Amino acid sequence: MAASVSASTSISHPLQADSRPGPFRRLSQLRAYTQTHFSTPHSSTSSSNSSVPNPQPRPRRHTHSISGRRLSWFSSHTTTRIDSAQPTTTDPSPCPEPRAARSRPNRYSAILFPTSRGLEIDLRSDTQPSDSSASNSSSESSRRPTPPTPGTPPTPGTPPTPEVMGRLRTLSQPHQDSQREQSSSAPVPTTIPNAALDSPDPVIATSSTPSGSKSKSGATIRFYPHQDPSQSTRPSLPFIPVSRTLPSDTCNIRVGRYSERDGLPLPNPSEPSDAPVGFKSKVVSRKHCEFIYMNGQWHIKDVGSSSGTFLNHMRLSQPGMPSRLYTIKDGDIVQLGIDFRGGEEMIFRCVRIRVECNRSWQQQPNEFNKNTESLIKNLGKGDTADYSGCRECSICLGSVLRPYQCLFMAACAHVWHYKCVSRLIHTPDYPMFQCPNCRAYTDLTAEVDDSNDYEAESANQQNSNSKKEPAEDVHSTTCSPQLGTSCTSNASRSSEDRRTPEIPADNLVAHVESMHLADGNPPMQTPESVTSAPNSNIDVLGLESLTQSSTTVPSRQEELRVDTPMRSESSDENPLTPRNDSGPLAFDGRASMSEDRPL
Amino acid sequence: MGSQKRIAKELAELTESPPDGIIVELANESNLYEWKVFMDGPEDSPYHKGRFELKLTLPTEYPFKPPTVSFVTKIYHPNVTNDDKGSMCLGMLKADEWKPSSRLSAVLEFARSLLGEPMPDDAVEGRIAEQYREDRKRYEEIAREWTRKYAGGAASS
Repeated sequence: MAASVSASTSISHPLQADSRPGPFRRLSQLRAYTQTHFSTPHSSTSSSNSSVPNPQPRPRRHTHSISGRRLSWFSSHTTTRIDSAQPTTTDPSPCPEPRAARSRPNRYSAILFPTSRGLEIDLRSDTQPSDSSASNSSSESSRRPTPPTPGTPPTPGTPPTPEVMGRLRTLSQPHQDSQREQSSSAPVPTTIPNAALDSPDPVIATSSTPSGSKSKSGATIRFYPHQDPSQSTRPSLPFIPVSRTLPSDTCNIRVGRYSERDGLPLPNPSEPSDAPVGFKSKVVSRKHCEFIYMNGQWHIKDVGSSSGTFLNHMRLSQPGMPSRLYTIKDGDIVQLGIDFRGGEEMIFRCVRIRVECNRSWQQQPNEFNKNTESLIKNLGKGDTADYSGCRECSICLGSVLRPYQCLFMAACAHVWHYKCVSRLIHTPDYPMFQCPNCRAYTDLTAEVDDSNDYEAESANQQNSNSKKEPAEDVHSTTCSPQLGTSCTSNASRSSEDRRTPEIPADNLVAHVESMHLADGNPPMQTPESVTSAPNSNIDVLGLESLTQSSTTVPSRQEELRVDTPMRSESSDENPLTPRNDSGPLAFDGRASMSEDRPL
Repeated sequence: MGSQKRIAKELAELTESPPDGIIVELANESNLYEWKVFMDGPEDSPYHKGRFELKLTLPTEYPFKPPTVSFVTKIYHPNVTNDDKGSMCLGMLKADEWKPSSRLSAVLEFARSLLGEPMPDDAVEGRIAEQYREDRKRYEEIAREWTRKYAGGAASS
């Protein structure tokens, strides 16, 4: 288990991998090669500067004219190494992870909004944050005003209207630019973060999923591929089911054409995320539509797609025109684009999505699934309490209450005999399972989410000695709670670590975030320390110094949590991940664009 | 074979405590998959006092596939075909609407409620549906007449 943990770490944090021996190092070299290869226009500069022995990080840094100022993606030790070889203004001031991760959702806009234009608007619309940050920024950043944090929801006091959000989003790319430049150029007075980063422990990163304590609050939406047999014989674009839980109500889910720069991190992250959803189809516009959660209701809006968004076969807007908001409900079919050239090639197929939403009640503790839980617990114990609704297999109508039966329980807490339900499990749709009772879809191969509050809660109620459960659960899926004590030293170690700072760490993140919002710049470094070294006690130390600011922005901390472990998937962080299977998309020029993207 | 168990169970339940106005029996004692259903026309509908015979056919894949319901007795109804098949269009019996957890008792009750409240939007007999919408009186008249004629509604006059 330890092996797998470290492997995932190294992928998600190539920087750290660099410092390590063995295959990971080779990976990063290969990555470096790929990058140089892709960024040929700039490679001349790179080759002039680069010395052979240390090729890894370099190509990344000169893929763009402002590369010198660009932030290093590598952790401090790597950065210094580069600095020696390359006369850049890059400061080892650490910035890399969370910001990069955070910025991913904004990359759609990055394509369409050239920085300069965005910045003008930025000045007008965001004067307050840019003022404050400008005062903090170095001369470098005078080139551009320092923006507020990209993707950060506005301050709690002023909840923005959706339109404002939209505008902010479009602006966010320049924000990142200048922000990155600034953070790379301006020496930032960071103390804690540096401390944290100076001890780069690869294992640290994996433990960065602080318990999903707040994760269940957000609205969840899921997209499943939908095949419409009655409408056409041609299948729509197949895709892996996607699930998103909003980190905050002010976030939208943007849907557009798949772009390597966006990555498709985890289709089903267990933590809240508003990462955009990309589809590998030419008939999907880069910015196609958005899913917006408002007043407890999900809405869809075409954001000016060229080939249209269809809600239950109704086109929402004219080509290139944004539509108004349309409410969507569970089971609605959303189609993106129309088959092109007969849709014979996969890349020209439209996307049909079956939306699943408003099912969060099902995922939270409710009468029914609590009931089921106690049913399962008391199976065979002779307890004949009334388990309303869940004591019978809806397929054979027999009882599931008897012991010595193989049962299958779906995520919606409906239970059947395995024998009865098995033919619904082993279908051509296999990893996807539709509950025959409530029609909820489940991905049976989805990552096990055992960082469940409810579990912990109920465990606490039921076993007095369950203290270890929540912590361990978060950490290792392979160890069942019962086996907790016999878990590998790795898991138990980190669970110990986690136990102590758990609550403080949460607060810390929140505080850090609020500071982060408040002045937009130097303390920005702190979140990184939190995410990169969450299980180190440094966090707790930092907490004391940070607790002054008290406005909490839960959304951001969740975002951090989500994004950090997933970075591996986004191709520009790690081009080695098998992302470049996009076929024709590789030739539409964005492959190089993505290299040009200011980091 | 699992289906037999379930069907037997449902049949037992239906015969033990039949829903209002519905009587169920096997068409042939040796075949669980063919049911004979007698359905009384609901009150305050033109089918009142008629007793309709229906045929309920279960696929061997039941409950994973929906059963089919058809009227053996001729009936003047927008949702029942006016031919000798008498097929009935029930939304919940469509392949993509059907859930294995639906029960036959629910199906039959739904079918009966459809007698009371036809759904002209889902009609299989467009002409009757139109009449139902435009000329309710005439529709009821004919339905009553057919009920008398075909559904043994001797007492209905």
